[in-house]
Amino acid sequence: VGIDNFLAALTLTNIALALFGVVAGTIIGSIPGLTATMAVAVLVPITFSMEPASALILLGAIYTGAIYGGAYAAILLNTPGTPSAIATTFDGYPMAKRGDGDLAVALACFASVFGGLVGAMALLFLAPPLSEVALAFGPGEYFWLSIFGLSLIAALSNGNLMKGLAGGAFGLILSTVGVAEISADIRLTFGSQTLISGFGVVGALIGLYCIPVLIDLVAVPDRHLKIEDDVKSVRIGEAAAIAMKSKVNLIRSSIIGTLVGILPGAGGSVAGLVAYSEAKRNASPDQKFGEGEPDGIIATESANNATVGGGFIPTLVLGIPGTPPDAVILGALLVQGVRTGPTLFQSGSDSIAYTFIYGLLIATILMLPVGLLIGRYAYKSIVTIPKAVLVPTVGFMTIIGTFAIHNSISDVGIMIGLGVFGWIVGRFGFSASPIVLGLILGPIAEQGFVQSWIIGSATNDLIGMFFGRPISQAIVAFTLLSLFYPLFVGRRQRAKK
Amino acid sequence: MSRDNSLNNDKKSVKGSNVGSLIVSIFFILAGFLTLFDTQSYTDADSSVFPQAAAILLILCASVSTIQNLIRPMADEGFGRGSWWRRLLLVTTMLLTCFAMPYIGFLLAAVISFVGGMIAAMHDRWSLKALIVYLGSGALIMVVFYMLFRYALYVPLP
Repeated sequence: VGIDNFLAALTLTNIALALFGVVAGTIIGSIPGLTATMAVAVLVPITFSMEPASALILLGAIYTGAIYGGAYAAILLNTPGTPSAIATTFDGYPMAKRGDGDLAVALACFASVFGGLVGAMALLFLAPPLSEVALAFGPGEYFWLSIFGLSLIAALSNGNLMKGLAGGAFGLILSTVGVAEISADIRLTFGSQTLISGFGVVGALIGLYCIPVLIDLVAVPDRHLKIEDDVKSVRIGEAAAIAMKSKVNLIRSSIIGTLVGILPGAGGSVAGLVAYSEAKRNASPDQKFGEGEPDGIIATESANNATVGGGFIPTLVLGIPGTPPDAVILGALLVQGVRTGPTLFQSGSDSIAYTFIYGLLIATILMLPVGLLIGRYAYKSIVTIPKAVLVPTVGFMTIIGTFAIHNSISDVGIMIGLGVFGWIVGRFGFSASPIVLGLILGPIAEQGFVQSWIIGSATNDLIGMFFGRPISQAIVAFTLLSLFYPLFVGRRQRAKK
Repeated sequence: MSRDNSLNNDKKSVKGSNVGSLIVSIFFILAGFLTLFDTQSYTDADSSVFPQAAAILLILCASVSTIQNLIRPMADEGFGRGSWWRRLLLVTTMLLTCFAMPYIGFLLAAVISFVGGMIAAMHDRWSLKALIVYLGSGALIMVVFYMLFRYALYVPLP
C-alpha cells in the first residue's frame, strides 16, 4: 500500500485519464437513459491498448463520474439520470422547485465525493476481509435486504400507506412480467412479444418520473423551477456547512453504500434507497423527508458513490462483479490478461490493484471541482432555458435514451405508456415512487425468496432458511425498526404533549 | 398564439371528488385478479409463488384503500388546472414519434416530437425571432445527440 503505487498513479497520463473519465462519466450519467454501465461499456474498447492500471483508472473514473452525474437530472428534472439516483429525486426535485436547486447540486457533489472516498478507502485497506461479506450473503439475506428496501414505501406514501403499499405491490407484479428467471415460464405477457423481455428498469424510471413532469410543465405557463434572485452561483459554502452538520449521516450512508456495493447484484440504487431509509429513520421530527430535506440527498448520493469502491472489492478479490459496471470492467481486465484474486493485492511497485485504487482516489477528488463546475452550468441552463425549448429537448432525450438501452422502439412506447399511467395514478394519490421501488427490488426479492424456498424445502428447514442466520435476523430487525420506529416516536411525542 | 384561456376551466375538478381514487383502486384490484388468473397457466410452482403473493398484497391494499375511501372520503387532488390540449399534444406527438420512427427514420421522427413539444410548451406570444431561435436550438440539439448516439455510442438509430 506504498508510496510507489501512489506515484505510479500520479503520472500525468493517469491524471489526464482520470479527469477525462470523470468529465465524460458525469456528462453521460446526467443524460436520462444512459447508465453508468453503458458509459463504461462504450469506452472499454479504447482501453485495450493502454497499460492495465491506466485502463482501470479511466474506467473507474467514468464509473464514479456517471454515478454522480445521475444526480443532475434527478434534482433538476425529477428524472434519475441513472437508477442509482432514484432516491435523489425524493428531496432533490422538491428542493429545486422551491429555488434551492443550486444548493442541492452542490450538496450532491460533496456527498458523492465523500462517499466515493470512503468506498475507495475501504477498497484500499479492507478489500480482502470485506470480500468475505459478499460470500456471507445467501438468498435469504438478499430477500430480506430487498424487503428492507421495500419498507421505504411507508415513507414514500404521502400519508396514505395503503395506496403506497398497493403501488409497491403493483411494481412487484410489473417486475415479474416476461420470462421467469428461475423456471423460465412466460408470465403476464398475454401473448405480446413486446412484453417478453419485461419492463426495463431504466425505461420505466424515465417514464414514471420524467413524463409526468413534462405533462405538468406544458399545461401551465409557470416557470419550471423557482429562481432565487439574490443567488448568483452554486452555493458551495452553504452546501459544505450542511454537509459538515450532517457528518453522521454522511459517514453512515457511505458505510451502507460500501457494504451494499460489495453485495453482487445489489448496486447503487439499492444502496441509495437503504441509506435514505436509514437517514429518515434517524431524522429529527422537524426534518421533512420527501419535501426537500438536504439530508435525503446527502444519504443517497454518498451511498451510491460509495458502491463504486465497494463494488470493486468482490470484483478484484473474488472475480465476482459487485455491480453491472464492475462486470464490464472485469471483462476488460480479462481481455488485458489480468487475473483477479487476492494475489492482485500483493503490494509492490508493479501492483495493478493499488495503483488503480490510488487512481480512483484521485478521480474521486477531481470530481469535486469538475462536479461543482458542471453542476453550476447544468443548473443555470435548466433554470434559464425557455420552457418551449426545455420540454421538447427533455422529451427528445427520454426517447433517444430509452431507445438506446435495447435499441428497441417498443421500449419507447412502454416508457411513454408508463409515464401517462404514472401521471394519472399520481394525481389520485398513488405516488410513482413505490411502483418504482417494487419494480427495482422485485427481481432481487423474488430470486432470494424462491431460492430460499427451494433450499428450505429440500433441507426441511424453511424457518431456518429465512430467519436462522444472524445477518437475516439483523436485517429483519432493521426492517421492523424502520417500519415501526416512526410510529413509536410519534406516539411518544403525542404523549408528551 | 395567445396565452391559453383554458387555465381556469377545470379548476372545478381540484376539490370535492374521490371518484378517480376509487377507479384507480378498482383498476389495481382487477390487475391483481388478472395476475392470479395468469399464474394458473405456469408449469412450475416456483414461477407463480411470488406474483401470487404480490397480487394478493395488491388486492388487499387496494381493497382497504377503496373501503377507506368509501367510509371516510378524501377529495383527490385531481387533474388540477392546466390546458388539456397541450398535454394531449405532447403525449400524442411523442407516441407518433415512436410509431413513425421505423418508417421515416429517427431524425425526422424526432422533428415531430420536438415541434409538437415546442408548440405544447409555448405559452408566450410567438415571434419570428423566437421561432427561429427555438427551431435552430432544437435542430442543433437533435443533430448533436444523433451524432453522439449514432457515431460515438454506436447506437443503431433507425
